[in-house]
Amino acid sequence: MKLLALLMVFTFLLSACGGGSDTNNSNVTNEDNNTSSPSPPADTNTDNQTGDDAQTPDAGNNEDENPDAGAVGTAPIVDVRAPGSIVRKGTTIVIESAITGGDEQLTYLWEQIAGPTAVIENHQSPSLTVTLPETHSSTQDDFVFALTVTNREGLSTYTETTIESINAMTQKQAATLLHQGTLGPTHAEIQAATGKSEEEWINAQFASETTYHMPFLENYPNKEQPNHINRIDAWWKASLSAPDQLRQRVAFALSQIFVVSDANSALRGEPEGMTNYYDMLLKNAFGNFRTLLESVTLSPVMGVYLSHLGNEKANLDKNIRPDENYAREVMQLFTIGLDELNLDGTVKLDDNGNTIPTYSQLEIGGFAKVFTGWTFAYSARWNRPSKNYTLPMHPFEDYHSNLEKHLLNGEVIPADTGAEASMKLALDNLFMHPNVAPFISKQLIQRLVKSNPTPAYVERVATIFNDNGQGDRGDLTAVVKAILLDEEARKYSVVLEHTGKIKEPILTKLHFWRTLNAASQANRYYTWNLSTTFGQGPLLSPSVFNFFRPDHRPSELLDSNLVAPELQIATDSNMISTTNSHYSDLVWRMAERKSTLNPNTIYMYGEAHISLLENAGLEALLDHYDVVYFAGIMSDETRSALTDLDSYFVNRTPADRISQLLYMISLSPEFNYQN
Amino acid sequence: MTTYNGKSRRAFLSLCLKGGASVAALTSLQLQALSNTLNSEPLSDYKALVCIFLHGGSDSLNMLVPTSGQHRTNYEQSRQNLVVNDAINLTTKTQFEGGVGLHPSMGNLTSLFDSGQLAFVGGVGTLIAPTTLADYKNKAVSIPSHLFSHNDQQATWMHGQEKVSLNTGWGARMLERLNQHSAFTSNISLAGSNPWQSGIQTSPYALSRNGVMKINPLSGYQPQVDHVKSIMDRLLQTNSNNPIQDAYASRLSRSISNVQSMNTLLEQAPELTTQFSDNNLSQQLAAVAKSLSISNQTTSQRQIFFVSLGGFDTHDEQLTTQPALFSTLATALSEFQSALNELALQNSVTTFTMSDFGRTLTSNGDGTDHGWAGNQLIMGGAVNGSDVHGIMLDQQVGGPLDVGGGRLIPQFSNEQYFAPIAKWFGLSEADVYELFPNAGNFDAFTLPLFNS
Repeated sequence: MKLLALLMVFTFLLSACGGGSDTNNSNVTNEDNNTSSPSPPADTNTDNQTGDDAQTPDAGNNEDENPDAGAVGTAPIVDVRAPGSIVRKGTTIVIESAITGGDEQLTYLWEQIAGPTAVIENHQSPSLTVTLPETHSSTQDDFVFALTVTNREGLSTYTETTIESINAMTQKQAATLLHQGTLGPTHAEIQAATGKSEEEWINAQFASETTYHMPFLENYPNKEQPNHINRIDAWWKASLSAPDQLRQRVAFALSQIFVVSDANSALRGEPEGMTNYYDMLLKNAFGNFRTLLESVTLSPVMGVYLSHLGNEKANLDKNIRPDENYAREVMQLFTIGLDELNLDGTVKLDDNGNTIPTYSQLEIGGFAKVFTGWTFAYSARWNRPSKNYTLPMHPFEDYHSNLEKHLLNGEVIPADTGAEASMKLALDNLFMHPNVAPFISKQLIQRLVKSNPTPAYVERVATIFNDNGQGDRGDLTAVVKAILLDEEARKYSVVLEHTGKIKEPILTKLHFWRTLNAASQANRYYTWNLSTTFGQGPLLSPSVFNFFRPDHRPSELLDSNLVAPELQIATDSNMISTTNSHYSDLVWRMAERKSTLNPNTIYMYGEAHISLLENAGLEALLDHYDVVYFAGIMSDETRSALTDLDSYFVNRTPADRISQLLYMISLSPEFNYQN
Repeated sequence: MTTYNGKSRRAFLSLCLKGGASVAALTSLQLQALSNTLNSEPLSDYKALVCIFLHGGSDSLNMLVPTSGQHRTNYEQSRQNLVVNDAINLTTKTQFEGGVGLHPSMGNLTSLFDSGQLAFVGGVGTLIAPTTLADYKNKAVSIPSHLFSHNDQQATWMHGQEKVSLNTGWGARMLERLNQHSAFTSNISLAGSNPWQSGIQTSPYALSRNGVMKINPLSGYQPQVDHVKSIMDRLLQTNSNNPIQDAYASRLSRSISNVQSMNTLLEQAPELTTQFSDNNLSQQLAAVAKSLSISNQTTSQRQIFFVSLGGFDTHDEQLTTQPALFSTLATALSEFQSALNELALQNSVTTFTMSDFGRTLTSNGDGTDHGWAGNQLIMGGAVNGSDVHGIMLDQQVGGPLDVGGGRLIPQFSNEQYFAPIAKWFGLSEADVYELFPNAGNFDAFTLPLFNS
């Protein structure tokens, strides 16, 4: 019997690998046959019994192959019923069996034969009670349970059932995911995600309708056109309320790779164009990278920002050469970077140990020619452009270089190729370069999850970038999913020292605003001086090189191998003005501390926090803060510091107390670190 | 080198003194560094350097232009619609073929130039070794990495060396070598963090343009302020075993104490009669002047300041943007120098410019592209003024210095520009060669930037 059981388990494990949905495998065997012929039952199982809901023991088959067994009688007919609906990790389920025909003097024996160890009870009864393990990895668990029913004649029916349990995120796990995948999660959003699997939450976010920012772009009162500040206002409104938070977060990340800015350019006068650019990022955030790249390239806002709009072919008489600005930055910053990379994002070295440049002046010249002849859509003439800042640029062939154009990897666009065709060939050429996957994947990981991903993490995501599993390259949905579901992001088993990143300062403000229902009675979010207060703001980079570089290593980390890009803007003045801004939000503009409200001022509403403090006490409030602001990593030291802080204010109003607590949270290192 | 670079100088020294590292294992360079540190003499005077970084790559070959002869003809043929007319003739101590014309929007620099407080450095750029066109084409000498790329070339100027794994800025290295890095007031930036001021043991204090910065929760009444501050101090301890989180904590903690100290100092700053314009650069330099006015109350004998002006990446509309930028630069420089005169610091403070690169002689219609060689400004009472040090490049497309598209090979390396500045700041010539690893490939002290 021992030998037989071993063989059977081995076979079922093999067949379970291919199984998808709940599967029962049944086999009948005879207690007497264990010595005579151990192998036939094993063959039977692999041949016939995978993948269906078979419940009928195939006695005939057994008889064919083991005629001796058939002579003794009929084995019990067993039907095993696993729970029908989604099974979650950490729950207790009952697997029931039903016997067709006589059920007297049957003995039952349940065993778990595959999967993480579950706690089983009543393993000698018709119904097995199973308590599944808690969530411990980002993927589903697959279990196989076997039931052997033996009748008084000693005839047995062996049935297997497969149970898949999907993740049920704890509140803390949900909070961790939502810190990575939203613009700062609210308690309600965390609660809604708790109990779901990561994949369910991500898929629901993918399916969620896009919240575009353009509908939020309103004019300043009594003005005929929107102003720069109205663009910022629209960004706040959409970011605060959008249900498609993951898309908003990814678009914000993309806005720091495909940088345009009206911080110090003529684009300051084009809030519609700028908002439309952000909407283009939102639209493509879950699309294909190649489409995104073309949308970026043909955006008139980008065309103005990197000056390929209006760029003309060479005129050697006048010593005019095509503008190289976009040619250079589309390679250096938007697609491949300066040095050849391995799939895992590390730099390739030549035989002498030197890095290998990805392009030279030859290719820059080639791409510069590609991006000639483009101007605003619906321009009647090249020299009288329409100034339409929202539609993609259109080409004028007369101003497009018809010379041959050198691309990467020795590819050449032949002479006399038109503007549109040249652009598409050039972007295809960039898109197919092996650097794109690691270059973009690593930066997205850094914006969403952590500053110092291991090369293996980058490689896993870059592999998905190159092929989403269906043969498609550049599927950003698959990339975002791979980033968020990766073990290094979910941290179920891997314990790495450097698990996260410093939060972007503007996102810490947004997080408080989202959780405290920031609002003005006039429904205006006019925030001036974001750049000088936080060192950043939406589409407000000081240059195309973004607020900080992905490889920035602050002086504190010089003797480590770590980077912390966000600390590049953590200058003394930015840090002080950021904390001052938090103070004025959380203390001075806490609505419940005011007797009258100014209609134009943005106030925080601490109602929910106040009632929690009043009804459940300080510890309950700190538990709440631990989840919402710390994703569950609030240390005992921080908790006791907050408790001691409150002891001074304990006789003040509850609004005063939560204000002081929230302010202290806003500057605490644990809050500012996204784990 | 790894050992030395990987640790702070102090840690390294203490390691040596404790016998943790064998002296025999040290390279000669390290030994020299060691002995320099141990022998460094106390400084007796006060000096400050102010770096103005012109972000984007200034078309500085259009700041100083030839006014006559074949150089003028070549210039006009090359530059076409971007030619600068009405340049102001400068009378230079050195004679240059074709003369020296200053961009007309910089007229308010002429009196500084004529009085000897301003000079230019001509034909300078990043180089590893002297390079001819043939060398460039045959790859016979090493060429700086990532020429024509903004952030890389900015970094190369500010690091004063090619990219290495643990890179530091030459401003910070000077402070550390002179043992002047311990006070945060020695290293002040008005333009955020930057490579020039980032060293092993020092990084810039980012001063707000307004000077005094209130810290809201610490501006209330007692004993609340003390209580709140004590809680802050507890939270900002660096014991999380998480270096990134600790880096944030120590940053904020340091920012708070620096801002408080700076506030105390700035409250004593005298009111200057010099008026500064409200352009971005003038405002930064006004804050520098204010900091300089209280420099005698700090312990710093050497200070470095960093300010910046952006917008020089004139791919388009150069004919309108460049005059505005040059005008801003000239206005801010002259205001700053007059404030220094008022403070009687004109001989102790030297101001100089850096920029990513020069720009192409060819145009792309209404702008220029990333080039290589360019011209720089240096200003101060100690400066050997009324001259162009270096060369007035012949601006000829396809000429003997053109590597393509009107990108000219620098005839002086930027390290030849930095070396006299570092020497003036108090470093020995031996120190300077160590500070700039490629300086030894050139005659490092050939440019007479300072009065001897």
